[in-house]
Amino acid sequence: MSILEVQDLRKTFTRGFSRRKTEAVRGISFAVERGQIFGFLGPNGAGKTTTIKILMGLIFPTAGSASVLGAPAGDRRAKAKLGYLPENPYFYDYLSAPELLDMVGRLHGLDGSARRKRSAELIERVGLGHAGKRPLRSFSKGMLQRAGLAQALMGDPELVVLDEPMSGLDPLGRKEVRDLLFELRDAGKTVFFCTHILADASMLCDRVAIIVKGKLRDVGPLGELLSPKVQSVDVVWQLPDGAETGALAALRERPGEHETTSEGEVMRTKDPDAAQAFVAAVIERGGAVHSVHPHRQSLEELFVHEALEAGQ
Amino acid sequence: MSPFGQSLGRIWAVALNTFREAMRNRVLAVLVLFAVGLMAFSLVLGELSLHEEVRVIKDIGLAGISFVGILIALFLGVNLLSKELDRKTVFFVIPKPLHRWEFLLGKFVGMGVTLALLTGLMAAVLAGFVLSNGGTHGVAMLRAEILVLLELLLLTTVAMLFSAFSSPYLSAMFTGALWVIGRNTPELTAFAGGKLDGSPLGSLLNAVAAAVPDFHLFYISGGNLEGNIVSIHEGFVSWTYVAQAAGYAGLYGGACLLLAVALFSRRDFT
Repeated sequence: MSILEVQDLRKTFTRGFSRRKTEAVRGISFAVERGQIFGFLGPNGAGKTTTIKILMGLIFPTAGSASVLGAPAGDRRAKAKLGYLPENPYFYDYLSAPELLDMVGRLHGLDGSARRKRSAELIERVGLGHAGKRPLRSFSKGMLQRAGLAQALMGDPELVVLDEPMSGLDPLGRKEVRDLLFELRDAGKTVFFCTHILADASMLCDRVAIIVKGKLRDVGPLGELLSPKVQSVDVVWQLPDGAETGALAALRERPGEHETTSEGEVMRTKDPDAAQAFVAAVIERGGAVHSVHPHRQSLEELFVHEALEAGQ
Repeated sequence: MSPFGQSLGRIWAVALNTFREAMRNRVLAVLVLFAVGLMAFSLVLGELSLHEEVRVIKDIGLAGISFVGILIALFLGVNLLSKELDRKTVFFVIPKPLHRWEFLLGKFVGMGVTLALLTGLMAAVLAGFVLSNGGTHGVAMLRAEILVLLELLLLTTVAMLFSAFSSPYLSAMFTGALWVIGRNTPELTAFAGGKLDGSPLGSLLNAVAAAVPDFHLFYISGGNLEGNIVSIHEGFVSWTYVAQAAGYAGLYGGACLLLAVALFSRRDFT
């Protein structure tokens, strides 16, 4: 059974005196399997947050359904198995991190000793041990994000939903969050997250869904969505000092784009055979090939392609 | 633990948080200090009276508790829900495993505990002033203070009802207006039954007086109850009256909370 199932989900907002209707989500369907890291990607205004808010029971769908482990989204039974980190988390800023986690533990029905134990573990795990009993209002954005992650995990959820979890974190913090997400997956948890940082999604996700203008454009494993075809090859090369000047010019005249960079000479071509022949020619002239890097379609390129195709 | 016990635990978690928020609110501390200041000022006024120091202290002290309590209930009550929306903390708390009605009830319980504690604190200070001037606090004062607390709890439910669907400013205006009308229901019915008797406006005023929460029930000292003047100093209301007033506050306040739950339960938090 899928841990999360969304069927033909729709949400239309009616705003203002003119009762103007805005279709934020237009009939999307997907499923998330247990133990996956699932990336929910899309440009601003695509309907990501609206979908997440329906899953969290913050708004009600106009049509369609969403369920978490068989229980309707928004139902208390569904929420008991969920941990959620909102985008730009806003917490009760007069509380300290232990007080916030204590409150969340109470809402999950944990007894006093379980709350204290889990709270202390999570505070250390997200690196907030130094914050002590300082109120959240004195936290930096990165510290708030860490507190948000801790509260999302307080109820030992089966499904963790994270809205922009890397937001506000420095490179070290982002690495720690990535490690934490992998740890969660290894522990059998499912992670559903939406992000704008496509490098993180590429690194983390087993499957992704791309939503543009309220419609799903693609759902599937990254390996299947991205074209395996080599789009171009970069060859970084150099001739030894004292090589005849004619050799350098001859190599630069071969087919492909040539440029000089701090790493050495670079030749770029769309033809892998031409790259192979170029490598042979460099070696034949006594030169060194530092690297040969084939470029395949990146998630970013797929994302931009889908967005442009949808007229975003 | 039984489902009922678990539900109580979740309501208490929200209540505890609401109580913590109120206790860490500096405006609240200033208002309580103002009430204590007013009581201290009553000592000076008492000195100006002719051997009626205790009477003055009791009258001004009780009025101070009521006035400051109303300000606190209005100020905190209208912000109970709207602050959650303005500060977006609702996005954190609603996805937690609790029903929306449990959240709303938890907010009310937390507010109730806060009001009970503050009223108790102000009453204790007033009792100290009364005793230090040779008077006795007495059971009548206790009844009067319980009535004040009941009024504050009822006012909170009205404020929560309005803040379930409107902004804090509008909620404060509506709740404040209802409180003013509700405190003056005898005057309203007397006016409707006097010059306006039989007229459509008189009928309308009677209907309004019947529909608005009767806050006058809870601040009865100096008022007329079934032909008798009620006073905190002699001939104050009985425990039966207090129980009836509590029943009224429970029914009216319960209806307000039910309506607030109905509005809050279907609301989209965008």
